[in-house]
Amino acid sequence: MTRLSLALLLPAAMLAQSGAADWKTYGQNSQGWRYSDLNQIDTKSVSKLAPRWIFQSGMAGGFETTPLVFNGQMFIAGPSNNSWALDLLTGKPLWHVKKTPPARLNLCCGEVNRGFAVLGDRLFRVNIEGTLVALDIRTGATLWETQLADYKKGYSATAAPLIVKNLVVTGIAGAEFGTRGFVDAYNPETGKLVWRFNTVPGEGEPGSETWSGESWKLGGGSTWITGTYDPGLNLIYWGVGNPGPDMDGDVRRGDNLYSCSVVAIDADTGKLKWYYQATPHDVHDWDAISDPVVVDLTMQGRAVKALIQANRNGFFYTLDRATGKVLVAKTYTKVTWAKGIGADGRPILIPNQEPTEEGNFVCPGLGGGHNWSATAYSPQTGLYYFHSSEDCHLFYKTKQGFTEGQWYQASNVEGRAGDHGTGRLLAVDPATGETKWRFDMVSSTSAGVLATAGGLVFSGDGQGYLIAFDARTGKVLWKFQTGGGMVAPPISYALEGKQYIAIAAGGSIMTFALP
Amino acid sequence: MKLNVAALLALSVPCFAQQDPNAVEAGRLVFRMSCAGCHGLHATGGRGGPDLTRGTYSTGDADKDLFSVISNGVPGTEMPSFRGALEDANISRLVAYVRSLSHAGAVPVKGDRTAGEKLFWGKGSCGQCHRVGMRGTAIGPDLTRAGKQRSLAYLRESVVAPDADLTPGYATIVVVTRDGAKITGVEKGFDNFSARLIDLSGRYYSFLKDDVKSMEREYRSVMPSNYGRMFSANDLDDLLAYLASLGGER
Repeated sequence: MTRLSLALLLPAAMLAQSGAADWKTYGQNSQGWRYSDLNQIDTKSVSKLAPRWIFQSGMAGGFETTPLVFNGQMFIAGPSNNSWALDLLTGKPLWHVKKTPPARLNLCCGEVNRGFAVLGDRLFRVNIEGTLVALDIRTGATLWETQLADYKKGYSATAAPLIVKNLVVTGIAGAEFGTRGFVDAYNPETGKLVWRFNTVPGEGEPGSETWSGESWKLGGGSTWITGTYDPGLNLIYWGVGNPGPDMDGDVRRGDNLYSCSVVAIDADTGKLKWYYQATPHDVHDWDAISDPVVVDLTMQGRAVKALIQANRNGFFYTLDRATGKVLVAKTYTKVTWAKGIGADGRPILIPNQEPTEEGNFVCPGLGGGHNWSATAYSPQTGLYYFHSSEDCHLFYKTKQGFTEGQWYQASNVEGRAGDHGTGRLLAVDPATGETKWRFDMVSSTSAGVLATAGGLVFSGDGQGYLIAFDARTGKVLWKFQTGGGMVAPPISYALEGKQYIAIAAGGSIMTFALP
Repeated sequence: MKLNVAALLALSVPCFAQQDPNAVEAGRLVFRMSCAGCHGLHATGGRGGPDLTRGTYSTGDADKDLFSVISNGVPGTEMPSFRGALEDANISRLVAYVRSLSHAGAVPVKGDRTAGEKLFWGKGSCGQCHRVGMRGTAIGPDLTRAGKQRSLAYLRESVVAPDADLTPGYATIVVVTRDGAKITGVEKGFDNFSARLIDLSGRYYSFLKDDVKSMEREYRSVMPSNYGRMFSANDLDDLLAYLASLGGER
């Protein structure tokens, strides 16, 4: 099938935002596909792929960013509030700005950042201390900076914002500190709040009955990975993280809505349209923050507007994205806590899997199954690609008092001697949940995935290899040792008729092209 | 200035523990959340973190040493700094808790250290693969500080059942080359596309996966598993007395 005829099959709304040469949003399009239409690098030519330039940031690493590419430049939102604009031909920096983070930050997982959003001549990023910033695209100068929430209470921000029409939509982190999560929409001109959706309902609001006593006040529900948007339904889809405290569910009886749920929010009002809670009353830190990807499927001969997610709890879900109804729920990794998902969408629990004083050994482990790393959907193969961690943990709980701004996980996990976690890259058919191929890795990786029209899937590993796979079979067609562990997803773009692959590796940005 | 404040606080730790009757229990709760992931739920040593119940520690035995280690971490090890993540008062409570453990679980060493040293370097030929200070060979784990890093029970298990809890990074790599030769050795590196190893003669190898028939990492030790039979019970006690005495002196 030629590229043109494939493109004709795609709905107009999907094509509208998938400019092939550029990469202008976290997931390549607002549906979160992370798919490039470019096909110069394909299954035959990829063996000749070679480095073109390397940008050395001077930082030790921790780049989780998705670079944005347009207008002959690359924009990098880096760790510790560093931002760069690079010349796309040479990799030379055009500007670099940094705002020093406050000295005492309460963070779960480092001063990381996952990227910019762009609208007109403005870039938008979050700073680690929980602010949303608008930058002048020409200089990197701050145009406005809005406090999302108080970092002294344990809030922080790491996700790439999402542009929805004329709104900058962003999430928040900090559920390990007894915070209360939200999804916010801001005016891109002024930085003023347009609407807020609280992921933990307040007193008297629908869903508040799923929290015992006043536990909702410390209820967590972070929104630390970028959501997606369906222009047809005008709905924003966003994943919600764990309830707080993580492992002591005794102090928060009930389902604890909307923790560990995917929520569908009206883009104009911020009102909840529907939710699907994958893990009611979670006690294993299985956030439902993984990419919620908007895809149109054919299931049993019927066209389905679907939302797909590889959940941290070990199940892959296909939902009806108009209603939230579960259409497919299938394990993709070892799961010991539930027999399956019932007709009502709730997990069928296996007894004695909750954390105890001495601990219970449960699979998947703390990080899941699939955690936060970016995923890819290829309309060419119809497959969904994501990483999985093959690991289990001893989960134990501890009675813990709450102190504002302090770690409030109410315990932890440990590995078991003789257990050696590994990783996998999986290709799953979203219409059935079946795994079509897998590539076993020596360890799990946080590197994301890219799919391209060249019939390829790109990803990295924790030991520094950037790898190209045949998207249909999983066969390794090319690899390159970058010398830096990868915790970021690759992207693809074109400059002067040449297709490039780029990825953050260690503290560097590397680009690759054919000779 | 910050360091000086911490040092002053450290000096006051015993006073703090005495003043606060709940310090040990409060420290236990902090330990479960911040430390048990590496040191084990009962502080007897986990995968990476040493046993803390022996009353002797690799970076100093005084309360101020413990406070400093928790606060600053140990460079070159997996022990991170908890300054900022934990309030000083909670670090003091951790010190009180860790101190309380050393009185409870310490197992007396029965054997003769000098006899054990002789066995180690003689009959056991342990130095063919292990180093103690500047002596021996660095194929297996360096035992220079083994006595401070591991519990007696752990050391005993490591001698008689070396596969039971493999030291991370010391798995066995088995490579079969295209011409059918099988090369087995200790892991020096293993990833999705390459393997590096040292065989028992000390020879170093590096292979790309594409160039060989197969490469596997097996989670077993290349160390012989017959030491439990080779040594009498008394020999074993002597050997353990020697290992338990190894505290980093060179």
